[in-house]
Amino acid sequence: MRAMIPLALAALAGPALAADGERVQVTGEVIDTWCYFSGVMGGPDAVVGTAHHTCALWCSAGGIPVGLLAPDGTVYMVLKMEGDDENAGGDTNLRIASHTIEADGMLYRRDGLNYLIVEEVIADQDIVNATHEDFGVIPGFAIPDSEAPE
Amino acid sequence: MRATLLALVLAFPAAAQQATVEAKLPDTLFPSNFGGAYTLTDHHGERRTEVDPQGNLQLVFFGYATCEAICTVALPIMSEMTDALSARGTDVTPLVITIDPETDTVESMGPALDAFAPGLTGLTGTEAELAHARDLFHVEKTLLFTDPRGVDVYAHGSHIYVMDGDGAFLTLLPPVLSVERMVEIVEGYAAEAAG
Repeated sequence: MRAMIPLALAALAGPALAADGERVQVTGEVIDTWCYFSGVMGGPDAVVGTAHHTCALWCSAGGIPVGLLAPDGTVYMVLKMEGDDENAGGDTNLRIASHTIEADGMLYRRDGLNYLIVEEVIADQDIVNATHEDFGVIPGFAIPDSEAPE
Repeated sequence: MRATLLALVLAFPAAAQQATVEAKLPDTLFPSNFGGAYTLTDHHGERRTEVDPQGNLQLVFFGYATCEAICTVALPIMSEMTDALSARGTDVTPLVITIDPETDTVESMGPALDAFAPGLTGLTGTEAELAHARDLFHVEKTLLFTDPRGVDVYAHGSHIYVMDGDGAFLTLLPPVLSVERMVEIVEGYAAEAAG
């Protein structure tokens, strides 16, 4: 599902600008792309949902762009979220971190990546991916000891 | 505490980072242009426009030298990319446009950048000059809070913009890609620019 870009393919895939974006409706979870792609905090199943929510907030606040993870494993890098004034940020999406949303927007493909401009959040299911039941808090230090529940 | 936690999260090595795609599809144009004419002052005190004097491709990032969040990720990446690209025969000019001119002055910005991202050129200016540059790249600057040390902490753009030697937009790079992947992407544009 998470097919890595083969280096050879990347080398062959030179930049070529073509068509405009396409309108899409995507349902997926708003994820922390740093921890999801890097793997430094654990596997992809552990760095989504409730288990990773606090860390996702830190990363988003720190400027890490959020992504929309579709059920088929496709990650859409969110270039702009409904309500943002600008489209190059990634730091104003705290409200919907870890939420599963249905988004309507424009899809742009560039350098092998999917970029999504979310024009409207059609539905917000809130945080429904209860990964803490399997993983606890990932990473544990995301919640300071003084703030952790007894 | 906030800065410490964030620094811990972002301190992990990025060597394993990769993007995922289902299949390679044709690129599409972004809906807006990035970049345009600006004039700022580099950390040597020289005025600099969007045109690179050497004609190199340019990597442009908006940040500030005391940032403990995304800048600690993006700026070292730009430094590594510049070295890697140079070793492979592609010279690029990495630029950091400050969003905090009170802290990032001509005198302070160079040494601050050298401390954790050698080789980068810092650009500063008046608030009006910098606001104009941010507008060109659709970058938003928001003061989040002032930390206990009295340092202002800002939200700001997080992408690395790849511009040609004339300052025209080529693409942007999310700072979650591996350095190797970013180098490959920039090399593709450099090859196209070379004809």
